Amino acid sequence: MSKQRSREYRQRVNQALATPRLQQALHAFGDAYLLARENALAGRDFDKLRQAVGEMKDEVRVNHQHYIDQFITNAKAAGATIFIAKTAEEANRYIADLAEEKKCRLAVKSKSMASEEIHLNRALETAGVETVETDLGEWIIQLAGQRPSHMVMPAIHMFRDEVAELFSKKTGQQEPDDIEHLVEVARQQLRRSYLEADIGISGANVAVAETGGIALVTNEGNARLVTTLPKIHVALVGIEKLVPTLDDAQSVLEVLPRNATGQQITSYVSWIRGAVPCGEGKKELHIVLLDNGRSALAESPHCKDALRCVKCGACANVCPIYQTVGGHVFGHIYISAIGIILTAFFHGLDQAAELVRACIGCRACVAVCPSNIDLENIILHLREVIGEEEGIGTGKALVFKKVMRNRKLFHSLLRAGSKLQKPVTKGERTIRHLPLFFSSLTEWRSLPAIAATPLRDQWQTIEQRVEQARYKVAFFAGCLNDFVYPELGRDLVKVLNRFGCEVTLPLEQNCCGVPALYSGDKETATVLAQQNVAAMLEGEPDFIVTTCPTCTMSLQRDFLELLGDNPAWAEKAAMLAEKTIDISRLLHEKLGVDALPKTVNRKVTYHDSCHLKRGAGVWQEPRALLAASGNEVVEMAHADRCCGFGGSYSFTSHPDIARRILTDKLNDIEATGADCVAMDCPGCMLQIGGGLEKADSPVRAAHTISLLAESLDD
Amino acid sequence: MTVERFRQAAENVGTAVVPVADIGDACRYIAGRCDGPVLLPSQPSLERGGLSAELEQQVKLLTAFDKSAAEQAAAGISGANFGIAETGTIVLESSAEPVRLATTLPPKHFVLIDPAKIVADGRAAVPYLQNLHHLAPQSFIAYITGPSRTADIERVLTIGVHGPKELHILLLDNLSSDFMES
Repeated sequence: MSKQRSREYRQRVNQALATPRLQQALHAFGDAYLLARENALAGRDFDKLRQAVGEMKDEVRVNHQHYIDQFITNAKAAGATIFIAKTAEEANRYIADLAEEKKCRLAVKSKSMASEEIHLNRALETAGVETVETDLGEWIIQLAGQRPSHMVMPAIHMFRDEVAELFSKKTGQQEPDDIEHLVEVARQQLRRSYLEADIGISGANVAVAETGGIALVTNEGNARLVTTLPKIHVALVGIEKLVPTLDDAQSVLEVLPRNATGQQITSYVSWIRGAVPCGEGKKELHIVLLDNGRSALAESPHCKDALRCVKCGACANVCPIYQTVGGHVFGHIYISAIGIILTAFFHGLDQAAELVRACIGCRACVAVCPSNIDLENIILHLREVIGEEEGIGTGKALVFKKVMRNRKLFHSLLRAGSKLQKPVTKGERTIRHLPLFFSSLTEWRSLPAIAATPLRDQWQTIEQRVEQARYKVAFFAGCLNDFVYPELGRDLVKVLNRFGCEVTLPLEQNCCGVPALYSGDKETATVLAQQNVAAMLEGEPDFIVTTCPTCTMSLQRDFLELLGDNPAWAEKAAMLAEKTIDISRLLHEKLGVDALPKTVNRKVTYHDSCHLKRGAGVWQEPRALLAASGNEVVEMAHADRCCGFGGSYSFTSHPDIARRILTDKLNDIEATGADCVAMDCPGCMLQIGGGLEKADSPVRAAHTISLLAESLDD
Repeated sequence: MTVERFRQAAENVGTAVVPVADIGDACRYIAGRCDGPVLLPSQPSLERGGLSAELEQQVKLLTAFDKSAAEQAAAGISGANFGIAETGTIVLESSAEPVRLATTLPPKHFVLIDPAKIVADGRAAVPYLQNLHHLAPQSFIAYITGPSRTADIERVLTIGVHGPKELHILLLDNLSSDFMES
């Protein structure tokens, strides 16, 4: 089953990659979105706003029964009929039965992701009720027989010529592909549906417990017509939409349009409570409160924060994977990062399995989430769950369990690899071509060779030039630094010595465990965490410094999670997290380095590594250090967009997507005219450096620490 | 200051904001832009100001209408309970069906509002929103900000999809200081 699923998924990926027009549109959208969002949020403390939304939503989750009872009491008092649907089937049956009982022939709908989630249209059509979507985007994809590829802009994957063709079929005449004209066609075509419909169906953006009312946040005005003209109004409301008060609803309103579309507010916000007048009498209002997996999600210790989501769609807008393959690939019904999580709970783990692996873990979504959800962390957890359910593949399992947990064996194999690679490296530091079935790996980026002598074997020969050290610093090198880029270690010693630090390299340190953890092997990650905690705290260093931000996140965050419940390790893991710091922040913040000998004259552009900027919050520091050493620092476009490395993501799981994302990055680098692109991550160096070399670019990729070390050269 | 902020925000989203001297001025503005029936649902502030008597001299004015008639109209007129400066929003208690028909179906929507009834931002609007909920057990309260819009085809902003294509806000001093009436 899962093999066929993977095959079909691959086909969808390949098809999307072969549609450059889609990628261009989504890239342009991503750029425009960021600008609009920045303008809309100007002068606001976004972190404060999102924390407040997150806390308010948590309060509702914890006291759910109280608020839902309050909502139901107030809604009933205002004349609404309430139905609680535990499942999609129950919701569909209730609405279809209602339509049948009232002899409805035509239903008009305003946009509702909850109705997509339960496939309501199918249920209504089966019951003989014609169902017309009235949101322009939804109507387009209904005519096309597709599903939304974005939560806010459902037809973002379609183009004007395709829309014109669909509309021409509908009207029976040739409609020109002028957008204004097409919008007018939709207006005319849908008018009769509103007027003739027996039933109007909407979702809700919030449900307010203190009033028993709902609010709809819309731009087109269709929801106002859907909830006004037909005699019956059915509101399908996910139970996570509850907020306690109108003031809390305002908090959602404060972030939702700004973060969704960069609007201060949408054209319409409709606060609807109870059975308002309609024709001669009163409207019949039915509120269907939909659970369908939400209560299970509320009970999940690792995933529950996902219920904070206000469905703004921003996690898609900024996602490099979404921008590369679109929402029909990177989504099921709900799309992108939040979609992965909701799919797992609403539609089953099997539907989410491929999507969970398609996330590259760049945390771009986390940075823009208006509800303060650590989406990446939750997706990581789901990856572990799927790893446990489906296995992680025998090859990987063997490497993680039998090799990586045994440090000596792991490192011996790496040393052996260094010798075995000679036929392909021909003594060079990079591999530009691999033979036979490995050839695709070096088709778009050269790969660095394993160093002849790893850093750990050179360490004794590296002289420490420091008298009366201010601090004792232990270096957590990470595998790439140790075995592929050992020179970074020499550079680090040189710079830290200059600023009064003695550096040690604890030799019992092992891989940080991220490859195992991100592949879903938590057990191996836990063993590695214990090995590293013990090794790095030995000798009581003042700081534990890293040159790889993914290692930093692992030491600071993952170790705490893996060992936090183990009394033998929890305290030590906390101490390790406390002492761990990346090299740029150590120099800039702790050692107060604000000037270096200005011997260089280079034009440098800086690439923000995902886990450094959005994990450790470090991005100004390396720029300041580079400028302080005489480099002219020029900004590239999308400096903090992922380079597409993602560890095994670019080697085995999704090399085609990684390659496309790298191309974007290389274009942005080239456009600056810089001589050199600096970064603080050996993984990014492998990806960007390999890509530049393969493209015969004159631009050099270097770690910030190497550039700083060069400025100290006599 | 607040009014200026309101005006700018509203114009940013495509609303026409026009100060008018008196009801006569407002009627001339509306009549000059309508070439068909105009809907005027019951609105206390406008009735007090004598809008219908003056306007029906100039246009075909409908004060009672059903949805089919509303669909054929050239414009709808309403007052406003209050405005929100930061976003250029008018807030309109729309529970009475004619108010909703007049402000959703015709291609143009004219609003008369007393500039004294403009609050600073969405947060400042909440107490009034709460009070509007106390007027009756059922309610349909609309925040209206600019004309109907869509960007659903290639993200190109297009005005006037299902709702009004034009929104005109006429600022008239001393129309009403009561946030609970429109």
